[in-house]
Amino acid sequence: MASGVKVSDEIHQAYTEIKKGKKYRYIIFHIKDDKEICIETYGDRDAAYDDYLQHLSNVGPDQCRYGLYDFEYEHACQGTSDTTKQKLFLMSWCPDTAKIKKKMLYSSSFDALKHALEGVGKYIQATDMAEASYECVLEKCRSTDRS
Amino acid sequence: MSGGVYGGDEVGALVFDPGHSSLRVGYAGEDSPKFDIPSWVGIVEDPETNEKKYFVDTVALHVPRKGCEVVNYMKEGMIEDWDTFEKVLDYSYEKCIKSESQYHPILFSEATWNARGKRERLCELVFEKYQVPAFFLVKSAVLAAFANGRSTGLVLDSGATHTSAIPVHDGYVLQHAIVKSPLGGDFLLNQANNFLKESQVDIVPTYMIADKQLVKEGERPKWTKKNNLVEVTASWHNYMKREVVRDFQQTMLHCSEAPYEEEAIASIPTEPYEFPTGYNNEYGTERYRITESLFDPSYIKGVGSTMLGMSHVVSTSIGLCDIDLRPSLYSGVIVTGGNSLLNGYVERLNRDLSSRTPPNMRFKLISATGTTERRFGSWIGGSILASLGSFQQMWISKQEYEESGKSQVDRKCP
Repeated sequence: MASGVKVSDEIHQAYTEIKKGKKYRYIIFHIKDDKEICIETYGDRDAAYDDYLQHLSNVGPDQCRYGLYDFEYEHACQGTSDTTKQKLFLMSWCPDTAKIKKKMLYSSSFDALKHALEGVGKYIQATDMAEASYECVLEKCRSTDRS
Repeated sequence: MSGGVYGGDEVGALVFDPGHSSLRVGYAGEDSPKFDIPSWVGIVEDPETNEKKYFVDTVALHVPRKGCEVVNYMKEGMIEDWDTFEKVLDYSYEKCIKSESQYHPILFSEATWNARGKRERLCELVFEKYQVPAFFLVKSAVLAAFANGRSTGLVLDSGATHTSAIPVHDGYVLQHAIVKSPLGGDFLLNQANNFLKESQVDIVPTYMIADKQLVKEGERPKWTKKNNLVEVTASWHNYMKREVVRDFQQTMLHCSEAPYEEEAIASIPTEPYEFPTGYNNEYGTERYRITESLFDPSYIKGVGSTMLGMSHVVSTSIGLCDIDLRPSLYSGVIVTGGNSLLNGYVERLNRDLSSRTPPNMRFKLISATGTTERRFGSWIGGSILASLGSFQQMWISKQEYEESGKSQVDRKCP
């Protein structure tokens, strides 16, 4: 079941830029006028994870967002030394403190965005800062890696 | 092909959320349902003409009438008695909404395990009889999950007849992993009833009492019976008796924070309760012991404890899901349903489940804080969904129904 919210065209373009072109570190999306998922901001390539979190907390405790982040972490396969791995993840940010209408809108439209962005490595749902934290995200990204 | 667009937020859509204890009705976009109509209906059958008269809603139902049988049109969360259900729908249009059905699109919630035949029948009913312009059917567990900001999670719905754990992934229910347990509000009511019987409290429904006097704690009640009582049926009398016990259940019962221990609980101060007859007593450990059976079925008297306790329902259901999904289910256990309003229910569940969660997974219990939000969780979800501007293209329109028939509901409402 879906809400019928559409994904705007600019997202496909931006998605290619982050996935292939590695132009940004992250993109934050919001739903405009309850109708369309649009881009809110881009994060520079040298932005840190904290900048991303900062942005999420800046939008206010009663607001929801989606975030696409090009996550980099150290990973060691058995018998090799550490290598840097990159994984894109898509996060739905619906804090517990948000208005129920916002939560409903964002969670029921998440599926539409997922379908629009093919090839994302991980989907993360976060309802509080602990779930969006670096450690938690790292753990989720690693959970499907082979060791 | 998309249905007609009904223009912006001002669609005046109605949301119906049928449950075993009541049918919630209201306008989409509002914070809580306007009407909460009991699913129990009184029926008086004329012995000569076989004509049936229906008495819907609390006020009409609570009047003693000769030969009035009380029935419930729901069974296992699904609509069973369609004739009675239609009468209740008639009533809600006539007396509650006070408007005609052909002007309002309607959104229904349904039990997750609703049978295909019943879904189609409902679709047929609303289009053929009520001539609604548009219709949609959503699973109540999905609504509850969305209303709590999650498209993936485990919904623990503790209602009147049963408690069920329903895994939801990306807004779709994983049908094979639903786990149901008969431990719900009605079960607790029976336990409370048994307890009162054992302690020899005479449960007298309010309709029989003309007058009562103040008595001391634990003394025999002094009350006088109304003298012009009509002959009522056993089902109606029992229904009224249950209402008395229900009040006891809702005000007095409490879940113990940790597994029940007689000694620890005995130190908690007792609380007084007065029955309609004037009989009053102090209740202490009993208040906790009755609810303990929800969490630890070995406390249930008489029957073998084959039933699953609350935390067990959750872990069994998650255990039936794909191993990669389990972490995301444990980190989003959503509590909803009227029975979860029991004092201390969420705290206890939190404790039990924390100890059951595998150590490599995070556990998070999500529950709406307000009583209305929790009790009407799926109604509120439906209300928001139906009022979204973007949702207006999702409805099954009347035109679509006329073109493709009732099977449309299986295609458009998964």
